Amino acid sequence: MTAPVLDKTDYDVLNVVALKKMASAPTIVTDTGLAADDVTTVLTGLSEQGLVVVAGDAALPTNEAEPALAAAAAVYYADLRGDADLIELVDRFETVNAQFLTTMSSWQQIDVGGRKVANDHSDSEYDDKVITRLDKLIARLGPLLDALAGHDARFAGYPRRFAAAMELIDAGQHDLVSSPTKDSVHNVWFEFHEDLLRTLGRERTE
Amino acid sequence: MADVLAEGYNVFDTKKSPSGTVKYLSSPADVITLIQSGKLQEHILLVRGGTTTFLAPALSMGAIGVITMSGAPESHLGILSREFQTPCVMTAYLTSSDSRYSVGATPESHFVEIAEQLDGKKVRLDCTDDEVGRIVALD
Repeated sequence: MTAPVLDKTDYDVLNVVALKKMASAPTIVTDTGLAADDVTTVLTGLSEQGLVVVAGDAALPTNEAEPALAAAAAVYYADLRGDADLIELVDRFETVNAQFLTTMSSWQQIDVGGRKVANDHSDSEYDDKVITRLDKLIARLGPLLDALAGHDARFAGYPRRFAAAMELIDAGQHDLVSSPTKDSVHNVWFEFHEDLLRTLGRERTE
Repeated sequence: MADVLAEGYNVFDTKKSPSGTVKYLSSPADVITLIQSGKLQEHILLVRGGTTTFLAPALSMGAIGVITMSGAPESHLGILSREFQTPCVMTAYLTSSDSRYSVGATPESHFVEIAEQLDGKKVRLDCTDDEVGRIVALD
């Protein structure tokens, strides 16, 4: 028997948990815009369905989460997947994504005589160049994010999160570039990529 | 001389040389079970690829070392391992086998062989080289 398709609120909450791999209720509230009580109720329901495990104050996706999300995305985003203009933008994203990963690595490591060594961030001119490159790459996502937000308002959250991270970086908080524990540019980009792939029903490539 | 069981791309060079029993993680449930066991730091984690995004909670909870069977140091997992300073060897291959990973053309048997040979082995990661990370037998 086929499991019923997740309702859209359940989808949005489970999607955040799956994107973050581990998410607390306050984080889900921030990302979804839902009320705290509603998030608690939805998480309880998802736990009862075996789609999340709650450990401490965080929810983690189970093995069944991804198939449930994939099945629901196929229904909710059937129209989007048939939007030829949007798909053209998506295909261009793969190039931008490759450039982003290379740029992020160049933030973490610098080339010294052909050897990669940790960037100690003592060269502010180098760091500024990388940050400028990241800013340009984020700007190149604009048309795709706008097109996606036209189908689902959830995608309007990404430009806001990128802007918030870049604002803090410009103010000197450079850990917002790649910190895995903050809403850094890398985390936002990674979540967007995952969200995009799920929305389109595509697999991540190596 | 130490017995090098496998080697691959070293994601970043570090003097950290974690040791533990290799644990193959094939799904989000495996990660949850390991975290809940409280024994995360007894294991070197083996996963299939650089796109294995479900490993992230283990890294944030203090995983000591990671081995992947595919993927590049520039991948999301590579970026995360550098951020957490978790030693990581990517696209590892068995030194006793001729089988190598090739994007889009790797038989399932390649991954099965690595998992079978490494899972449960006591090893140490040697990540001191700029390019090559080594999985060294401790048994």
